[in-house]
Amino acid sequence: MANRTTWDRIRPYVMIAPAMAGILTFVIYPMGYLIYLSFYKYNLMNRAKSKYVEFDNYKQIFTRGDFYKALGNTLVYTVGVVALTMILALLTALWLKRNTRLNAIIQGGIFIPHIVSIVSVSLVWLWMMEPSHGMLNALLRSLGIPPSHWLQSSRTALVSVIIVAVWQAIGYYALIISAALRNVSPSIYEAAALDNASRAKVFFRITLPLISPQLFFILVIMTIGSFKVFDIVQIMTGGGPNDATTTLVYYIYSYRTTNIGYAAASGVTLMAIIGLLTFVYFRLLSRKVHYQ
Amino acid sequence: MASIELVQVTKVFDKTAVIDRLDLTIEDGSFTVLVGPSGCGKTTLLRMIAGLDLQTSGSVRIGGKDVSNLAPGQRGVAMVFQNYALYPTMSVRENIEFGLKNNKVKRSERIELVESISETVGLKDYLDRKPSTLSGGQRQRVALARAMVKKPAVFLMDEPLSNLDAKLRGQMRIELIELHKKLGVTFVYVTHDQVEAMSMADRIVLMNGGVIQQEAAPEVIYRQPGNQFTAQFMGVPPMNVYELGANGIKFGFRPEAALLSQSQTQSQSPETNLNTNTPQWSVRGTVATREMLGSETIYQIKSGDRSYMVKSADDQYAFDQEVQLRVDASRIFLFAADGSRLLESEPDYAGYMDRLRGQRHG
Amino acid sequence: MKRMEFNYGRWLGVILKIAMGLFFIFPFLWMLSTALQTLKETLSFPPVWIPASPQWDNFVRAMNGGPFAIYAKNSLIITGSIIVLQFLIMIPAAYAFAKYSFVGKPLFFGMTLLAFMIPTQVTFIPVYLLLADWGLIRTLWPQIIPFMTNAFGIFLLRQYFMQIPQELIESAKLDNATEFKLIWRIMIPMSRPALATIALFSFVSHWNDYFWPLVMTDSVSIRPLTLGIAALKETEGITNWHVIMAGNAVLVGPILVVYAFFSRQIVRAFVYSGIK
Repeated sequence: MANRTTWDRIRPYVMIAPAMAGILTFVIYPMGYLIYLSFYKYNLMNRAKSKYVEFDNYKQIFTRGDFYKALGNTLVYTVGVVALTMILALLTALWLKRNTRLNAIIQGGIFIPHIVSIVSVSLVWLWMMEPSHGMLNALLRSLGIPPSHWLQSSRTALVSVIIVAVWQAIGYYALIISAALRNVSPSIYEAAALDNASRAKVFFRITLPLISPQLFFILVIMTIGSFKVFDIVQIMTGGGPNDATTTLVYYIYSYRTTNIGYAAASGVTLMAIIGLLTFVYFRLLSRKVHYQ
Repeated sequence: MASIELVQVTKVFDKTAVIDRLDLTIEDGSFTVLVGPSGCGKTTLLRMIAGLDLQTSGSVRIGGKDVSNLAPGQRGVAMVFQNYALYPTMSVRENIEFGLKNNKVKRSERIELVESISETVGLKDYLDRKPSTLSGGQRQRVALARAMVKKPAVFLMDEPLSNLDAKLRGQMRIELIELHKKLGVTFVYVTHDQVEAMSMADRIVLMNGGVIQQEAAPEVIYRQPGNQFTAQFMGVPPMNVYELGANGIKFGFRPEAALLSQSQTQSQSPETNLNTNTPQWSVRGTVATREMLGSETIYQIKSGDRSYMVKSADDQYAFDQEVQLRVDASRIFLFAADGSRLLESEPDYAGYMDRLRGQRHG
Repeated sequence: MKRMEFNYGRWLGVILKIAMGLFFIFPFLWMLSTALQTLKETLSFPPVWIPASPQWDNFVRAMNGGPFAIYAKNSLIITGSIIVLQFLIMIPAAYAFAKYSFVGKPLFFGMTLLAFMIPTQVTFIPVYLLLADWGLIRTLWPQIIPFMTNAFGIFLLRQYFMQIPQELIESAKLDNATEFKLIWRIMIPMSRPALATIALFSFVSHWNDYFWPLVMTDSVSIRPLTLGIAALKETEGITNWHVIMAGNAVLVGPILVVYAFFSRQIVRAFVYSGIK
């Protein structure tokens, strides 16, 4: 029993050791290794032939049009998905705010796309967006609207992908927002009613500020999630047509075997963007949003 | 069965010593109540006895054995917490049994112990229920049973009655006294409620600011307070204490020590006549508030810029009425400037008493 | 029901809500319908809503399009192992973060936060090279061990553990319980809702995962269902949508069945994870 204090002192370390080993091996070490790789012309077959190339990979990145194209696509995708999802999810949540049976069922229904694999979602929409026999064009035709090429035209492909992504995300975020709305104490609304506040005023001055922590959380999660979009693009368009839907991760993916050093440098760039976004968001968070 | 000794115990939190070189001996088999205002260190003291907080220096001995470095489970103590700390996912039986299982008590013995204890505390029919389905009083009993079943030498209780309603609390107080008589082991009980302390303890340890103010039997603490803090902490309403006006000396008397009569300008009340031979201090004032409690009435008597609390069996005085307030000299306490009690044996005592009587307003 | 006044606004609201619900479910219904159509039906205009005679054969054809028994087995092994491994690692770590103070705790907690932030899309190249060095690339391990530390789970569980009153732990210590027993008998039973949430979350995300198996595997024998179904698109060309949808229905089916039975718990779990 004399060792009680010694064991007490090391026990927390023993308890977190496996978790920390996992993080070190599969997150922190790879981050370092990724940075290391980005300075090399890496030879997968014969590592001895790998060559230190300083900033060549980075120089290449920032001078190549296809990288900017991928970055631009990712930005458009992110802004589109985040803005549309945010607005539509908020409206949906407000609409389904009251705790009734019907609302619960509808919420359960619109949530389904979120728990289904993105593979399934992509395949179903791929079929519906099929230009000659797909459901959507059949619908447009019967309404007398000219059909669209959807995923097969470089003009509409990215928008099509955004539609699918928003469709998949709304249910989840509406759910979180409506839970936040229900957490607002009814007495606040009652007080506002007694103060004779208009509906718009109640929404903008009371509801919105009170749920702003959740909205902010959603914003962060969605932005980071959108920046790493890959699956949906890989299955639906393969980055095409004409790189119209090539996103950053897809770009990295396409170089993963042919030019590892270059892919690594692109990966570092993605990491930096995500890090910067997170940092900026949390700086804003500490300044703006605290009602709880 | 065990006595508890704290020897030169110090506890430092965040670089401040909340308890500094404290010595205390709790006698074997006593019902000792640690009482004091919140933050006085009483709970810390209890937790050091239990081993939940380790003392920064000094030692803790239970039954003559140094337990300073023993884990809580190996000190032979049981504890009842304020919120009972029942394991919510376990049934009443599992709650009571948990400690026995950990101590590798045989199954047959365990069943027997649980049965007999649950009978004692009246929980036999509830053994398979979850704590959440029980009432506050029943939960309290489970907590007691869980402590008792381990047959501890020392029973520690941290404000165990404060979550109960007033009626149940009164009933549990009596049950705890009976339990102590029956078990005959050492009880250490922490509370901030001086009524609880007075009613249950055979020994009270009154603490303030990490320092023991007085350690004595309840009647001694009440009748012979060692200092002004003790005098004012014990008793409701607290003792009236005011400056005497010389050398920082203060005088005080308990609300029930004061006698009221109609002001001398009106007729004499009969009870004042009884005391005319003994030396008295008296003051004239008006009734500022009146709280009728049933068998007694509490008055607040305003006199000049001072107000005195008076507890009396007489409820005839009305708001704003002018009254005469008198206290027998034998029931007046004097305190020195540092708060310590000035005893009758001290040379200046008589002089100060004379001075006090000279102040009579009337 | 004194006045039988027909409230148009209310019914319009109900109808609109149902229409919105359908908008999110329709694609899956359409998937099922297509899965039972003939090739000719899929190509017709206007579209066939309900197939004349259900073509169950499409499912057989889809399942013959690849080694689906192996895919399914791999998916089960991978998700099962991940959840077990994560729980073994997460519980002690969350407990230590919640209930102990120790030197370096902010650093280690910061590392966990970092792990939560850094997506697999950033680390997959070095992790692949690392696992290749370890000679594991042709096994299922690359799809399991990188997920051994569930940072999100550690956060959630730590939060939950912190809400458990300290007195319960002290009480157990006075009852001479070992640290292991304390966790096993008190902390775990008391955090069942959080643990269920984490398990559910982990199951859904790894069962549905596509990216990681795609970049980690180069042979059919170690691939999970998601990759198998996605591969149908290649093997069935771009016309046999009825077969692809049949395969897709097989992938979606189990999740939808689970959801039908546990929708309330699942919804609550997802909301919970989103708000905390």
